[in-house]
Amino acid sequence: MSWTTIARSAIGTRHQDQQLPCQDAAAVRVLGEVAIGAVADGAGSAALADVGAKLAVDTAVHSLSRTEIWWQRRQLSWSALPEFPSTDLLHRLFSKAAQRALRTLARQAQVNDCALDDLACTLLMFLATPRWLAAMQIGDGFIVVRSPEQSYHLLFQPDKGEFANQTSFLTSPGAIATMQVRLWADTPLFICAATDGIERVAIRFQDWTAFAPFFQPFEAYLEEALTPEPDDTYLVNFLTSDRLNARTDDDKTLLLCRYQTKA
Amino acid sequence: MPVGLPEFVDNPENRCPVILLLDTSSSMSGEPIQALTQGLQVFRDEVQRDTKAALSVEVAIVRFGPVQLLQDFVTIEHFNPPTLVAEGYTPMGEAINFALDLLEGRKEIYKANGIQYYRPWLFLITDGAPTDSWQAAAARIREGEANRKFCFFAVAVEGADMETLRQIAPPERPPILLTGLQFQPLFVWLSTSMKRVSSAKVGEAVALPPVGWGQITT
Repeated sequence: MSWTTIARSAIGTRHQDQQLPCQDAAAVRVLGEVAIGAVADGAGSAALADVGAKLAVDTAVHSLSRTEIWWQRRQLSWSALPEFPSTDLLHRLFSKAAQRALRTLARQAQVNDCALDDLACTLLMFLATPRWLAAMQIGDGFIVVRSPEQSYHLLFQPDKGEFANQTSFLTSPGAIATMQVRLWADTPLFICAATDGIERVAIRFQDWTAFAPFFQPFEAYLEEALTPEPDDTYLVNFLTSDRLNARTDDDKTLLLCRYQTKA
Repeated sequence: MPVGLPEFVDNPENRCPVILLLDTSSSMSGEPIQALTQGLQVFRDEVQRDTKAALSVEVAIVRFGPVQLLQDFVTIEHFNPPTLVAEGYTPMGEAINFALDLLEGRKEIYKANGIQYYRPWLFLITDGAPTDSWQAAAARIREGEANRKFCFFAVAVEGADMETLRQIAPPERPPILLTGLQFQPLFVWLSTSMKRVSSAKVGEAVALPPVGWGQITT
């Protein structure tokens, strides 16, 4: 009984052509029975988008991890809560983590003597236990989850404006107050968090549903790769494949988690 | 490792709609209308050179006078630039209203089919003064611009009524006076802009290329 996780980003062909760095970032951490992850997509127009995205995911995961470590010092855990956490509690948990991330960006902006918007990025994070998953989202990208008796489910509709190139960022005014938060009150056997570079091939826009044939192979991959971290060839090959690049010229990130129940 | 490859959902390309609102009144006859016709071909060729833009950019042409839908929305690969004929008056107000209705209809089709789209462009080219009532149309333009529903550009060919155009165009994007009959550079600029818009991503403010074919008049 444990979590198998992996996160990888690959640069999009457009940024490659423009000799820009990959502006996506992801971080994932397992603490006992709890998996914590975050992905971020740096705004294309922001000068230090890559720095902002990396700082945001690292700070977010660190902040959520601290809460679990706090529990564990008391022989407790998020996974040991007798009831599901209230939405109010989750709002506070994620607000705190998002605010920490925002403060880190503000400090970095001072260090670099640049505007906060130069570090603009989206932010998605989740905290998963064997019984439930809590998640938040600011901006586009997606989190998909599958439970034992269910198919792949898109947690949030991507936060887009009317037009295809609009979204909000962690650094946008009021972003944290209006972030989407959700509790998934079932065992999250499989979790996939991704940036919007993957949206086009994984989510059906007509009705915003997760396209199961996209996710199934990744679940099978995590099931077979006992240590996906060193054995990342499959995922890296996919993210850098011509097949995927033909469908998106954006940076792309996949963060995958699978919960293996006792064999 | 014996795992299969992920299959992709078959999503349609994001669309990047542009309506060309072309003054084909009798004052455009001769060289101007020929230069404009050639400009359309330049536009088609330029957009087609970019494979992604060719799938994204959708063009419609409304001509006036009389107001006529010369080309309903098509992607560039299906776009056959028409040969323009100069005739009639300049019912600019009616033409703008027609174009805005056309755009609304297109958006409904996008929404019904789950197609994502960029902020549409309306591109007006005229050498005259409206011969009909244009105030209501101008109000719609300004309201739509203020709500960021579309981008409206007015290009004046020499002889155009700049005063009226200034009242139709949104204050933040005043009409541009075309240098001579430089329609070719104008359409190269338009296609470059469309390519930039169609490859823009999250929240990117698209920087448009500099206008080398005319003068921005304020």
